[in-house]
Amino acid sequence: MVDELAIAGLAERLRGAYDSGIPCPPVRGGLPTGDIAAAYAVQEANTRYWLGAGRRLVGRKIGLTSKAVQMQLGVDRPDFGMLFADMAIGDGEEIEIGAVLQPRIEAEVAFVLERPLLYERPTAADVIRAVSYAVPAIEVVGSRIAKWDINILDSIADNASSGLFVLGNERRAIDDFDGRLCGMTVENRGEPISVGAGAACLGHPLNALRWVAAEMVRRSRPLAAGDIVMSGALGPMVSAAPGEVYTARISGLGSVRAAFSRS
Amino acid sequence: MARASRRLAIDVAKHARALDEAMTSGIPLPQLSAGEAVTLVDAYRIQMALVEHRLNRQDERSGIKLGLTSRAKAAQMGIAEPIYGRLTDGMLIDDGGEITLSAYIQPRVEPEIAFLLKAPLGGPISVAQAMAAVEAIAPAIEVIDSRYRDFKFTLADVVADNCSAAGYLLGPWHRPDIDISNLGMVLEIDGRPVQIGSSAAILGHPARSLVQAARLAALAGDRIQAGYIVMAGSATAAEPLKVGAAVSLSVETIGRVGFRVAMDQQQQ
Repeated sequence: MVDELAIAGLAERLRGAYDSGIPCPPVRGGLPTGDIAAAYAVQEANTRYWLGAGRRLVGRKIGLTSKAVQMQLGVDRPDFGMLFADMAIGDGEEIEIGAVLQPRIEAEVAFVLERPLLYERPTAADVIRAVSYAVPAIEVVGSRIAKWDINILDSIADNASSGLFVLGNERRAIDDFDGRLCGMTVENRGEPISVGAGAACLGHPLNALRWVAAEMVRRSRPLAAGDIVMSGALGPMVSAAPGEVYTARISGLGSVRAAFSRS
Repeated sequence: MARASRRLAIDVAKHARALDEAMTSGIPLPQLSAGEAVTLVDAYRIQMALVEHRLNRQDERSGIKLGLTSRAKAAQMGIAEPIYGRLTDGMLIDDGGEITLSAYIQPRVEPEIAFLLKAPLGGPISVAQAMAAVEAIAPAIEVIDSRYRDFKFTLADVVADNCSAAGYLLGPWHRPDIDISNLGMVLEIDGRPVQIGSSAAILGHPARSLVQAARLAALAGDRIQAGYIVMAGSATAAEPLKVGAAVSLSVETIGRVGFRVAMDQQQQ
């Protein structure tokens, strides 16, 4: 067991990076090797701190959902982070380039729930019934860890490298698009810079939703009606540059834009 | 000496024969460009002569293929436009069929979209004009195989080698009046996804491949005829083929296509 003081210290280090805008060294050195539970304890310490400070929890994000990223970090499972209301950006609204440290973007399917998911082992049927609708989304990920020098423990502790999220405004029922085969493209200045399909996210974005629903029950923060779930990238993550606009299109779901300020 | 040899005409017939022999013998060649300077125009002349060898063996022309249609790949090679190759019916592999690895040198597969043309294509045309010439579209897999050692080549080398064309498969035809700009494509080997992409990776929209093909035909010394198949280019990186592999491509909305690689007798 890692003592609570050490956990609190690492959580504070990450908050310090948010507040100062200066990335910090990795936190993994302060945690036992491979101790996923300890890393989530760091994340949870910050979640409690932020809820206490009045931030509104509106959903979850799932990270490390692609085989390529899992191999890169040497892990065989995804991770999750908390989404707060103040992280939400509207389609095409200007995003301060400095708002997220070391910003990168990825295109995802976001699900919005109409029922809570309270089973520790939800079935595909439970998950399908719980979803109200889906929207195309862009996640602006970032890392409080300098130079993105992260392993799985750093990612988990740092709220799964979450930053901001942009939701599209046109909702679709989950039977209106092909979750496994939907094409995805992110365009910048007319060029596709990241392409993929639904299968890149754990085989199907609903698989990712099922995974996080189970995980949240086990970790005592179950998904509630109204929660937003950013289900995970459908293609490679790309760096976001000042002044650039990125348009994500997901076949059957429509499009959504992330527009960054020049400075 | 290098200067003097650059002025000499390229021996088109010799290079075409060497590439054809590499294909039939299965013994790869060193790069053509290692010995002399080969221009893109020379390379297309070699390609034409190379395909002539196939036609002399009773193959019929069946269409064309485009290569380097991924902007990322093109930028890596420092080129601005795709490359053009020729397909013959001897390259056609049946959907659901089987191939043997020994027929190739170092085969790889690429997930693609194929067009069937109902009218000829040529010259500068718009995407709208190109699509008006399309009878049908299909999920398609291309088997590429370089006749150069280790898949190492310059742009001129690969053009001379008919853009590594070796085989192609067509799934069921689908009507073309759907939005094909962003169809998800999942290539599976033995049921597991190995390449995941979108038709958007093909020049941003696969119909742009038709526009490029129409423009490149003159440079390649070719005419694109009604009835031709156009393989639009790969949506992902190529995947190497292994003995016994079951290869399958699913394309959003338009369907599936697949084949098997035969088990090697010696390894059984």
